[in-house]
This record gives sequence, structure tokens and C-alpha cells, in this order.
Amino acid sequence: MIGYIAKRSLLVIPTLFGISVVIFAMVRLLPGDVIDILFGGDVTADEEVKQQAREQLGLTGSYPEQYWRWISRAFQGDFGDSLRNTEPVSAILRDSLPITLELIFLALLIAVVVGIPLGVISATRRDGTRDYAARVGGLVGVSIPSFWLATLLLLFTSRVFGWVPSLSYVSPFDDLGANLAQFILPALSISVFTMAIVMRMVRATMLEVLGQDYVRTARAKGVSRSKVVYRHALRNALIPVVTVVGFEVGVLMSGAAIVEIVFGIPGVGYTLLQAIANRDYPVIQATTLLLAVTFIVFNLIVDLLYGVLDPRITQG
Amino acid sequence: MSDKPVSDNPDHENRGLVSSVPEPPAEGDLNRRDLLKKAGQVGAGVLAVGALGGTAKAAPRRIGQKRPPRGGKVTWALEQDPVHIAPFGAILTSNHWGKAPMYESLLEWDSKLNERAALAVSWKVVDNKTIDFFLRKGVKFHNGKEVTAADVKYSVEQMLNPPLPGSISTVGQVPAIEGVSVRGKYTARLRLKAPDARIYGFLAWNRYSPIVPQGMYQQVNAGREGIGTGPFRLVDFTPNDKVEYVRNQNYWKQGLPYLDALTLKTLPDEQARVAALRARAVDGATLSADSAKALAGDRNLKVLKGLTAAFRELQFTLKEGEDKPWHDVRVRQAVNHAINRQEIIDKVYSGNGEYSGHVPPGYGPWPLSRAELRNKYEKFDLPKARALMKAAGQQRGFSVTLTTFSTPLDFGQVAAVIKQQLQKININVNIVAQEPGTFAAANGRGAFEWDLTARGMRGDVDGYLAEFNPSASIYRIWYPKYRNVKVWRDIGNGRITLDQKKRLPLYKDAQQRLLTDLVQVPLVAVTKFQVVNRRINNMYVAFTDFNTGLHTSVYVK
Repeated sequence: MIGYIAKRSLLVIPTLFGISVVIFAMVRLLPGDVIDILFGGDVTADEEVKQQAREQLGLTGSYPEQYWRWISRAFQGDFGDSLRNTEPVSAILRDSLPITLELIFLALLIAVVVGIPLGVISATRRDGTRDYAARVGGLVGVSIPSFWLATLLLLFTSRVFGWVPSLSYVSPFDDLGANLAQFILPALSISVFTMAIVMRMVRATMLEVLGQDYVRTARAKGVSRSKVVYRHALRNALIPVVTVVGFEVGVLMSGAAIVEIVFGIPGVGYTLLQAIANRDYPVIQATTLLLAVTFIVFNLIVDLLYGVLDPRITQG
Repeated sequence: MSDKPVSDNPDHENRGLVSSVPEPPAEGDLNRRDLLKKAGQVGAGVLAVGALGGTAKAAPRRIGQKRPPRGGKVTWALEQDPVHIAPFGAILTSNHWGKAPMYESLLEWDSKLNERAALAVSWKVVDNKTIDFFLRKGVKFHNGKEVTAADVKYSVEQMLNPPLPGSISTVGQVPAIEGVSVRGKYTARLRLKAPDARIYGFLAWNRYSPIVPQGMYQQVNAGREGIGTGPFRLVDFTPNDKVEYVRNQNYWKQGLPYLDALTLKTLPDEQARVAALRARAVDGATLSADSAKALAGDRNLKVLKGLTAAFRELQFTLKEGEDKPWHDVRVRQAVNHAINRQEIIDKVYSGNGEYSGHVPPGYGPWPLSRAELRNKYEKFDLPKARALMKAAGQQRGFSVTLTTFSTPLDFGQVAAVIKQQLQKININVNIVAQEPGTFAAANGRGAFEWDLTARGMRGDVDGYLAEFNPSASIYRIWYPKYRNVKVWRDIGNGRITLDQKKRLPLYKDAQQRLLTDLVQVPLVAVTKFQVVNRRINNMYVAFTDFNTGLHTSVYVK
């Protein structure tokens, strides 16, 4: 097991290196650099003044030099300063990351808490009305874009109830109720897709497990249906769900970016999109790297959990 | 002399003019026309007695006029984050939205773009390169310190070399200022490198010329904090979230502002702004024409609209060594007359817009009249366009690439209408939409055939026309083949003529000639829509796009 953990953890290093190179290159490949944006208001600006601006922003030197400067500082926790407001990027992320993590956590919670029971009901009531309803709901869930649902929810609550979530971020440590009221719609918006996936996965694996010999044996021995379902079938059916949930973190993060814009929540996604519009390289790089690290870490945890849940994997 | 015109970037557009609920002018206000007269006297070395208006106390209300109630809080939704609120070197218009409530300049504009005294109570032109500004006594910064000439000197130095997080790229907006010397506690002498008539507009445009206390950048983090003299004092700025202000209790304009507090909340998503307006979570916001129309029936809301300083235009390149069909002035004239601007206004802007010349309608006395544009220079006349193409030997037409912004969306829509219209004179237009940064870079390099672009607010009329003078470096990039000595003289003399009365005919003449030569084809000025809660009174769509109504005009009831 220890060897498995070490192997999986070591693989993270080249993955992160590759990601950092790709992020750096992609940011530079964006059409129109930050100097173009800054001087967008002054087409007559001399090259000399533009060079001054490059020096002012620390954008001099070749790309490899710039990459080395960035990555070597990043290793020390220094992601540089925003090109647009000179705030330390680490401070920007410190403010925005907890917001996004909370949003993702709540979305996952909703997806799991609603998706798993729906999957179980659907599997145990196969081809019944509730099964069809859950399957249609699942189809809608995977088809509906989160940003569209977010907009609909926002317009619906404003029109029908004259209410929208608080426009200013409320920390859960200041007022948990207000915080949850602020996050419920955005979390619901991005959870629907994952909820549908979880529901489908649980249903499919439950149906498979319920057809296994050991389940039939348990029933034949007189174990109650609910016990068989929840103690035997569901437990085994949850193993692939863990994997799915891990992968869905990436989906939730991308959904969060747009939904944060819709609801005006100053999270990482919101920060990233603003930074892309402003060609704020240090913010884009650090934010993307952070999201990539979060994704990798979640997948690592899933891999390790999978090993725990199914020891055959570590042995293989 | 600086020769740099201002923004092509939509970020820099400053929109809005005709105020649906105009700001009531204070006693003693001087309008732009009056100011031109004044400045003419100033040019002759006469003391310009503070415009106007004397001291802060000199604002007696008319008998019977009811004073608006004080108090209340307004939350306004911004469509773009300010990013930072540093006083100098701000690139984005949204930077200024964020900082404007707390800063002021020596002069100011009212809602109708009239210039009037602000922190300077009067000024005197010593010679054509030296102006003494006499400061209003007793005006205090938000930190309690009195405004003095030393603060003016410090502020001008920052304008000339904006510290981070401002950008040095904004120095192109600064007229030929050499420096400032302190002549007394309340007298600052401004020296110009050359006579430069742009100075008054620049000093009224506090986007670039706010006055801050000496040493402010050493005292606070200027990107997130600020000390000004404006009607509101900053409480908190959280990037990507909000800017919070409270009333400046010691504001020099007595009785103002009416509001106790003002919050600017960033909500980039338009539907979020619509929902927030419906739910009364915000009191006002800028919206598209369609969204504003959708809210028009809501009894709690009212829709304001106004023409904007931003206008759309078609831009050609006329480069040496190239022989393109539009290098022939008759082809450019044909294009101009084949474009039906009213159709653009109707199809793209739902009937909200106006014909624009090189200077947008509403920009003080400078633009050509509506009738001149509609009936003469920009008249839609297809037979004439066809005849001109024939005379130029281009009756079979040609193909051309028209590049424009991918966002805002109206650019692509205008391009599509133009494509359709020019097909009638056999010009095949291929539209390429580019991301704003890419577009701006290519435009600055002259790497285009035709561009559909925009112009925004300028501090002075010179900003709209400087690029047609060979002294502008962009002239050599965009249209080095263009020659019109009369236009060059008009623009060159206009900049150095301090007597504003004499400037007016120069710029009128230049515009008329440019609308014959047509190296750029101005199209339409755009209307801006703002929707406000009915409890908001006296708000207006500001020509400068700086939501100025929120500062001292708006009250709640």
C-alpha cells in the first residue's frame, strides 16, 4: 500500500511540471498581450513607452527566462503581483480560493445527498414511475448548462419572490445562515450535472450488484430487502461513485467559474475570467495552476481511496 | 507637444449624454460656451475670475426651490470590475467608475459637459505657456488636511509619471505640461512646454487629473485606498466585489452629497443585474437596450437613456506603396453615401442612436449639426454612390476585409449591415471579428484594410482630430498618403490657439473637409440605457460615462 501511495504521489511531480509549462505557454499564446491591452487606449504610443511599461511590469526577457522566474518564485510561494492592480497574487487567491472551495463542497454535497438516494430508488423501482422520473431528471441534469440554469434560477427568484442571493460575500464564520442563503442557488446550479451523473452511476451499479449471487443468497437466507440494499448492494455500488465524484470536481470547478460571474461571487473562477480578460498573466498562471493542483489532488485522493476500497487495485 | 489621441478600446469608451433627468446647475455655473468666451479672454491675459462661481458658500438656492432630502443609501451595479482605484494611470473606464466618487480636479464638468471651477476657484494666463491656478480655500481632503498648491504640484507629477498600479500608457492623454511650481499656499503655476489648448479639458476630466494630498502614495496603498476631496469618502474596496463609500461630511459644496452612502457592486452578468434590479438588491445599472425594454413595464423601475460620446466608425488605411481601390477619394465617398446610417440605427440599436461626425453629437459646440450630417455629408444616396464608383472605374466593385471587435456584439451586427449595404455598389466585404486585445494591437500597427472601430470620450476636441495631422505618429501608420494642408493647418492651429472662440471655426472647417476626404467614415453615436429604482431621483445618463449623477445629483425619496 505504501509503495502504491508513493508511486501515485511521485507521478504528481512530472504532471505538475507539464501543467506549469502548458499554462505558461498558453497564457503567452493568447492573442493580444497585456501591453496591447494597456495601450489599447493609445494607438499612437511609442515603442519606447511600451518598453517602459514592459519593464514596469517585469515582462522583459525571453519566455524561458520569464518561465524560470515565475516557477522558481512559485516554489517559494511567491506567485508575483497582479499586472493590473499590483496586489500579490497569493493574497488574491487567499481571498478567493475558500469561496470557490465552499461552493464546490456544497455542490458536491447536494449532488451526493440527492443523487445517491435517487439512484437507489431508481434501481430498486426499476421501470416504475419513479425510475422513469429519475431517469428523465438525469437526462435533463446532464443536458442543462449550469450557467443557463443559474441565470434561470436567478431570474425566477427575482421575478416570483423578489429575492436574489446576497450580492456581497458573507463568510460562513460571520453568518452561516446568510452564507448558505447566498450559496444555495449557485451550488444547486453547478451540482445538477454531477447529481445526474451520480444518480445514473448508482442506478447502474446497483442494478448490477442486485443481480449478483451473493445478494440473492442473502435474500434467500432471509435478510430483509432494505438491509440487502443498503448494507450489501449500496456499499459495493458506491466504489465507482467515489471515482466519478473525484472526476466531477473538475466539472464543478469549470461550472463554478461561470456561475460565480452570474451570481457575482468573488471566487477563483470569477478572478480567473477577469484576469484572462485583462491578460493578467501572473493571476492567470497562478489561478490555473491552483485549479490544476486541486484537480490532481482530488484525483490522487480518489486513487488512494479506490485502493483502500478495493485492495485488488494496489496489488495489481 | 504630445500628439496622442485617446482610446480605440471599447474599455475606454465613455458613453452617454442626453440626460433624462439632468443635474440642476449650481448658481454661478459656467457652461462650455461661456467658458470658451472666458478662455478667449484668458488667452489675452485677462484674469479668469473663477469661473464661476466663487466660493462654496456662494450657492444660494432659488426662492421656492425645494431642497432634495438628504440621507439614504444607493447600491449601483457596475458591469465591469474597477480592478484598482488608483487615482493616476487608470486604463479601464471601470477604474474611474470605482474611484470617481472620491476624487476631484481643479476644474470639473457638469452633466452637460460644461466646464466649471472645482478645486481651483479661478486662474490667470500669465503667458501662452504659463497659467496660475488659484485654489479654493478651506477645501479639505478626506484625511482632514487642507488642499494646497503643494498637493497640486505633487498630483501633476503623478499625472506625468503614473506610479503602479496605474499605467504609464496613460501619459498620452496628458497635454504638454512641463511642470508645476508653488507660488503660494493657494497658488500653483502650471507651465506648458508649448501653448496647448487641451489643458482646460484635461483638468476637468478627473479621470486623469485628480488632486490628491502630497505623498499619498507613501501613506496608503493607492490601488485599494484613496484620499481625495470628493463628495464620498472610501470605506472599502474589495476587487471583484464592491466599492463602498460614505458621505464626506466636510464636502466643500454645501449640502452635498444628498446620499449617506454609495456602494458600487460589480455584476458583470447582465441577467444578474436584471434580477438584482427586480429584487431591489441594487438601485440602478447599465443594461442593453433589450434588457432595458424588458424592464420598462416594471412599475418599480424607470428607464433612462442618453446619447453617448462613443461612436462607431469605419476606418481605412492609405499606405504608401499600396494601390487599393479606396485610395481614390471617390470610392471612399461612394462608401459613405452607400451606407444607410438610419438603417444601422434601426436594425442594430432598435432606433436609438444618432448620426455622428468625427466629433460626436453632444460634445459641446464642436460637432457639425444634425442637419448638416443627415442632409449633406452623410446623406444616404445610392445613385450618387454608384455614380462615384463608376467615375472611379470601380463599377464592378472589389473585395475587402473588414476587421472589427468580437465584443461588444453590436460591432459585428453593424459590420453585417454595412456588408449588406455595400453589396449594392458591388463591394464584397469579408468580416473578421477579433478579440479586443488583438484588434487593438493590429489597429495600432495599421495591420488592416478596413476596421470597424470606435471612438470614446476625449478631454478636448483635439483628441478627435489630432490623428489627421502628420505630427501624430499614427498618421504615418494609418494614412501617410492622405494630404490636405488645410485640414493639417486647422488641426495644428487649433491645438495651439488658446482663444477658444477662434478654435471653433478651425475645428468645424476641419470636420467638413474630413467628411469630404473621408479617410475615416464616422457612422453612428450609440445610446446608453440605465435602469433605476423609482426611489432614485435626479439620475442621468452621463455623457462621460462616469455615472456622475451618483455623486452629487441623486437623492432618494
